[in-house]
Amino acid sequence: MQPQQKVTASAYRSLIGQNGDRLAALRQQMDFINTIGKRFVAAIDRFQVHRALLSTLQDLYHFSACSILLEEDPIELTFQLSIIPSHPLNQAFIAAMMESIARAAEVIDFPRVTADELALMAYLDAPDDLAWSDSATPSAVTGIGDFLNIPLTVENRIIGMLSLFDEREGVFDAELLQLTTMIADYAAVALENVRLRERERALWRDAEMERQRLVLIINSMAEGLLITNEEGAITSLNNSAQHLLFQARLPLEETSTPLRRLAAFNEAKWLTDLADIIDKALAGHIIMGHELVADASDEAVPLTLSISAAPLYDSRQSMQTRILGVVAVLNDITSHKQLEKLKDEFVSIVSHELRTPLTTIKGYTQHLIRRIERRLRGTSATLPANAVAELPESYDLRSLNIMQSQTDHLERLVNDLLDLSRVQWGELNLHYSSFYLADVLAESVRLAQISAEQHTIFLDIDTPDSKLVADKLRISQVVGNILDNAVKFSPQGKQVTVILKEQGKEFQVSISDRGIGVSPDFFDHIFERFYRVRNTASRQYSGIGMGLFIAKAIVEAHGGGIWLSSNPGTGSTFYFTLPKVPRTGMLPAV
Amino acid sequence: MLSGGADHSSSVYREKVTQAYLQAIHTIDDRVTPFLGKATTRVLVQGSARRLAETYPFLHFLEKMPYTDVSPSVVHEQLGGVVPAQLAAGLDALLQECFAGLKELTGNLIAPHLLEEVRRQLEQTP
Repeated sequence: MQPQQKVTASAYRSLIGQNGDRLAALRQQMDFINTIGKRFVAAIDRFQVHRALLSTLQDLYHFSACSILLEEDPIELTFQLSIIPSHPLNQAFIAAMMESIARAAEVIDFPRVTADELALMAYLDAPDDLAWSDSATPSAVTGIGDFLNIPLTVENRIIGMLSLFDEREGVFDAELLQLTTMIADYAAVALENVRLRERERALWRDAEMERQRLVLIINSMAEGLLITNEEGAITSLNNSAQHLLFQARLPLEETSTPLRRLAAFNEAKWLTDLADIIDKALAGHIIMGHELVADASDEAVPLTLSISAAPLYDSRQSMQTRILGVVAVLNDITSHKQLEKLKDEFVSIVSHELRTPLTTIKGYTQHLIRRIERRLRGTSATLPANAVAELPESYDLRSLNIMQSQTDHLERLVNDLLDLSRVQWGELNLHYSSFYLADVLAESVRLAQISAEQHTIFLDIDTPDSKLVADKLRISQVVGNILDNAVKFSPQGKQVTVILKEQGKEFQVSISDRGIGVSPDFFDHIFERFYRVRNTASRQYSGIGMGLFIAKAIVEAHGGGIWLSSNPGTGSTFYFTLPKVPRTGMLPAV
Repeated sequence: MLSGGADHSSSVYREKVTQAYLQAIHTIDDRVTPFLGKATTRVLVQGSARRLAETYPFLHFLEKMPYTDVSPSVVHEQLGGVVPAQLAAGLDALLQECFAGLKELTGNLIAPHLLEEVRRQLEQTP
């Protein structure tokens, strides 16, 4: 057993020795790889990668120069070529390098590039501490003795090529080729990281420039612009918005507090209205041109804002259902309102000035009509009717009747203009009295029927008691305006129907015609002042678009509502409601 | 490069030629990949096929699919209509182009030995 034990111990020692050598070699390799890794990881730009590469390769070989060809833009097919010499090179050697690089680039399927093109784009990156240590004068050798062109790959994609050149032959070793490729892989990853970092920096720079540009634009806007978060707290606002909110002494530093809460503790009541608009937009609605009086002063025309707001949707969601906040535009329309006020005052003055001569003309016309009628009545006793019709006085009477009709029309127009001004500035005073709505409708129908010979106007009273407290004259005006339209816009005559219904605490009146109708596209605007439907069917009808505006103002001043249903070609029905007694807060004028 | 003596007109010959050259390409793949990596080896072969496709259009099929995926059915489908002599010339040119490319990359480090190995392999093909 003894000799065998000796043999075994010897073999064991031998084995330990072999393993020890292997372990030492392995440790040496790991140290080398670790050193390489650290060099490349520490490189933060391509020049540092070049230095790491050069120092690593110089641990393996002595060579004259290395170069890195990189695709700069895969779409534009542009390259970047850096030459890193170990010592000064002569031009012929560099030209031979270009030839070799161009041929190898074609082999690895890079877009075709010639040696001359490479020479033009080449960048000589000579590190001070490494490149110029040997000698300051270029070598006299003009030809390449040995070379290696190793593609640089990242995730199985070739991004460039590392080339090594030396003047001597047989410098590069097949044994070290695998290690050289590994170093090239390290360099490729480091260069790709540098490229990605540069790209990221460029994108950040672009984004920052774009952000600054937008800030500049937004702050230069005459309109106020504010953005809220999903809680309705103001997150950003431009200079104009700051200026407007400053007037309300809004604590703008409290950026996390919703506007609704800030408004509750603020004296400026318009902030509550602004909070309402923001809340509506947060609920998904788009608000366009909502007018707010943002000033409690006694100015003839207070600070007035037109506010538009829209929800901001989360662009990361494909369906865009999540609302992240609101963007609101605040437009100061005070000067516009001042202009409007001046215009309305002018219209009011002109209307008043027109009224006096108009009353005189109307009075004298009526006087002349009565005088001629008296004269003709006297003549008709002695002459046959057809002879009376041919008398000059009969012709005069017809002319005077036309004059009277046109004067009446002019008077209504002037009255409408006066009402327009009153409505515009909230000066439409109502004189409440108790009356029967059925009587007002009957009288309005009777008067309308006189001048509408081609039409048949039906009145359907569907309530036993139509007693109402309202401004009787104004209600007659509403019915008259709607009836006028019904007759005017049904030129072929036909039937107009007026129906009165009782609906709980209010009455509903509907007036239907069988005229040209109104397209639903115009429903939102038809009650606006001076609005006239512009289409082929309505072009032939006269009017200035005040009747329905005034009718709406009167109905709403009574606490009622007005709307229509219509189809082009089949006619329209206008509805309005009136409360039987004025609602709280609508006290009759004294 | 392939040894003579076979029936050049038969489809069997066509398949034999193709298999022999594909085997040669596999050998290049086996020897070059450890040194230069898979991506480079693939580009070396497919780039060669692309450059030669004008002269030998049937080599186009090697551009579209990895040569490691080429099976007898693919050969039958893609090269069925090619004249055997033309096929042999095209595949031989492909091999030469691969070696020329390899030489542009690594000089004389790999190409001469590998060329010798591939030549022997092709000569042994019946």
